[in-house]
Amino acid sequence: MPLLEVESVSKAFGSLKALDKVSFKVEPGEIFGIAGPNGSGKSTLFNVITGIPFGPDSGRIVFDGAEIQRKAGHEIAWLGLARTFQRETSFDKLTVFENVLISGAYGKPGRSPEEARAGALEALDIVGLPRSSHGRLAEELSVFDRKCLMLATAAAMQPKMLLLDEPASGLTKPEIETSIGLIRKIADLGVTIVLIEHVLTFLMSLSQHLLVLNQGQVLTIGNPKDVIADERVIEAYLGTRKAAV
Amino acid sequence: MDAALQILFGGLFQGSLFAMMAVGLALIWTTIGVFNFSHGVMMMLGAYVAWQLSDWSLPLFIVLPATMLIMAGVGWLLQASVVRPLIGRPNIVLVVVITTLAAASLIENGVLEVWGPRSKQLPTLIEGNTQILGVGVSMHQIAIILITPVILGALWLFLNRTRLGLALRAVAQNEDASLLVGLNVTALYGLAFAIAAALAALAGIFMGGYRFMSPVMGADPLLKALIVVVFGGLSSISGPIFAAYLIGFFEAICSYYFGLYWTPALLFAVLILMLMIKPEGLFGAKTRGLA
Repeated sequence: MPLLEVESVSKAFGSLKALDKVSFKVEPGEIFGIAGPNGSGKSTLFNVITGIPFGPDSGRIVFDGAEIQRKAGHEIAWLGLARTFQRETSFDKLTVFENVLISGAYGKPGRSPEEARAGALEALDIVGLPRSSHGRLAEELSVFDRKCLMLATAAAMQPKMLLLDEPASGLTKPEIETSIGLIRKIADLGVTIVLIEHVLTFLMSLSQHLLVLNQGQVLTIGNPKDVIADERVIEAYLGTRKAAV
Repeated sequence: MDAALQILFGGLFQGSLFAMMAVGLALIWTTIGVFNFSHGVMMMLGAYVAWQLSDWSLPLFIVLPATMLIMAGVGWLLQASVVRPLIGRPNIVLVVVITTLAAASLIENGVLEVWGPRSKQLPTLIEGNTQILGVGVSMHQIAIILITPVILGALWLFLNRTRLGLALRAVAQNEDASLLVGLNVTALYGLAFAIAAALAALAGIFMGGYRFMSPVMGADPLLKALIVVVFGGLSSISGPIFAAYLIGFFEAICSYYFGLYWTPALLFAVLILMLMIKPEGLFGAKTRGLA
């Protein structure tokens, strides 16, 4: 049974169809990549899946056997669905440890304060943020450390699925390499990962399946190698040969 | 020496009152990003509830916590009825100004209907007067000066040393991220209103012990609380607390040297000057956060 099933999901802003009958399935344990040009609806898709800040206009989203398209954002998080943002750190004025502790404490119902603390420390260790940084405010961290903090915040929830929104944006090549290692490490813990990324090499090196969105519609889904060889994908990214001429 | 002591006691007393009035308003602004214009009415209603409980011959040590608890419930209801349905809508700040003003008018008229227009007074926290270094001070004033830092300290501990406080500080910074980490944002908004209403009730009890109570007694404290919050900065709750004491001392000095008549005008002049130099408030930053 798929862990996430998105069925004919649509979202419009006025006359603009940001998502148009998008459907796909993500199996447990896989790393699922989502690519597409700017404005193709990738981040909107994450928004409607998490219900934050809005759900879909129509369609059905099933996560771990439960329909979630009408659930509140925090209820979806409690089911085990975590997400990171493209740029911002969640809570700039909280310390590194507080950022992770809060998701450890509230992201999974029924945890004791001790379990939440232990979970937070474990998540910080996974991403390699040293103890010396735990007392610093999140806003003081470098871009890469902020990305690590976001991963730790999500990992502390011990989610079943993690949605990563452009984790490589703004990073240097060596940092991207480290990020790939970190994402693999989290996936090895049994977390299913759905990944939006512009950097195609990043997606290719991680994803088992790749979906390409274009103008709010699914262009193609499949094996990453086959997908990037698809003429329609090349056209969506680079334009047609005729247009280029 | 007498003048300095009078200014010191006057400043501490006024500062304590302003801090109690302003801290709830600041808590709601920093958490939800709206101004609660029924905050003054919450002080008034708190004073009337305390008066009613005292009239039933309940002792002070029951009246104080019972009033705060009842008013916390009222604050929760207020948030659920006139704020929560509007969250996420455009122009929420302006809309909530209108809805909380409407609620304030409704509550004022309700109090008038239930308790009537005749002025009332609460018993003082501690009876009698005392002399400190030759200056006469009421024990009620001393109690307010001593209780306020304890309450504010408890609030600081709650916000900075408990999981629930951590959740409130998180919601104050980023609502979407709060939902993503599993925080029940609507419940936390309700909690912020409940705490603010309980603190407003305590301010009302303080006021009701040294001046006559009436259904419109919340209007002036609301204005003062707004001045304190804007003066101290809208980005935190610690800024308005420091500002409350600064303004308290400023008022005490002005009242002593220029008289009560000129004090509000001088206070506004300083406020305008300060806002021209530092628009985010004396202790303000450009982003919100409970600290």
